[in-house]
Amino acid sequence: MDIQLKRGLLDVCVLAAIREEDSYGYQIIKDMKPYIELSESTLYTILKRLEAARMLTVRTAEHDGRLRKYYHITADGLKRIDDFKKEWKEILSIYQFVTKGDDKNE
Amino acid sequence: MNKSEFLAQLKKGLSGLPEADVAERLSFYGEMIDDRIEDGLSEEEAVNEIGNVDEIVSQIISEVSLPKLVKQKISPKRKLTAVEIVLLILGLPIWLPLLIAAIAVAFSVYVTVWAVIVSLWAAFVSLIAGGLSAFVSGVALLLNQTPMSGLLMLAALFICAGLSVFAFFGCMAATKGILALTKRTAVWLKTRMMKGEE
Repeated sequence: MDIQLKRGLLDVCVLAAIREEDSYGYQIIKDMKPYIELSESTLYTILKRLEAARMLTVRTAEHDGRLRKYYHITADGLKRIDDFKKEWKEILSIYQFVTKGDDKNE
Repeated sequence: MNKSEFLAQLKKGLSGLPEADVAERLSFYGEMIDDRIEDGLSEEEAVNEIGNVDEIVSQIISEVSLPKLVKQKISPKRKLTAVEIVLLILGLPIWLPLLIAAIAVAFSVYVTVWAVIVSLWAAFVSLIAGGLSAFVSGVALLLNQTPMSGLLMLAALFICAGLSVFAFFGCMAATKGILALTKRTAVWLKTRMMKGEE
């Protein structure tokens, strides 16, 4: 898959992983695993980028005697997910147009 | 490898980055290992799942921009004393020209390398142009009842066409090679700068 495209997709996936409730690094990786594999280093870069873009905020909380970072989605982050859905509706209709004649041509 | 060994190796590999960045990454990977252990993995298994330290380090280095590394490298660990500032200003006529010369040399090496590539492509284009003109003049000579000269020109056309095929692949290979070399040099430069911190 095109690298730029994949990067944009991963950003939205991470946002979706923290949409319902605040989540932490390992939980995000586990939640995404059935759909898309993500390495720790990649996740770190994505979280940094989303934080800089104010699409999520970070808080540190104690868990089981150690510290853990939790990520919380912002209004901008939710808007990013909505924009993504709209974009993909357009892409889907283009896809249907592109594949329309496939059965006849094969 | 256990958790503290992993983190120590990671810290060593990242030693050229700003300290706050390194600390943040270390706590991130530490948390990842702890969460895996909580999930039922042994410490060894948890570290193994994170992956190879060297690969992680080279991925991080390739993502860090060169200007950031340079900034970290030249930012002094302590404030400069008045004497040092005076010396820096007094020494300006000496070190500034040297610095400019060093940058100029590096730049000219870069330009020279690409000039070679440009000249290779120029040779390729001239082969094509030569072939085309040989074709035109060859046909013209054949029609002008000087068939021997015409045949000679057509022979020149085939030589040009044949050579241009080889020249094309040669030029492509040279361009790709130089591009790869440029990328490798950048990674090498970054690694050297980070090693210098130790």
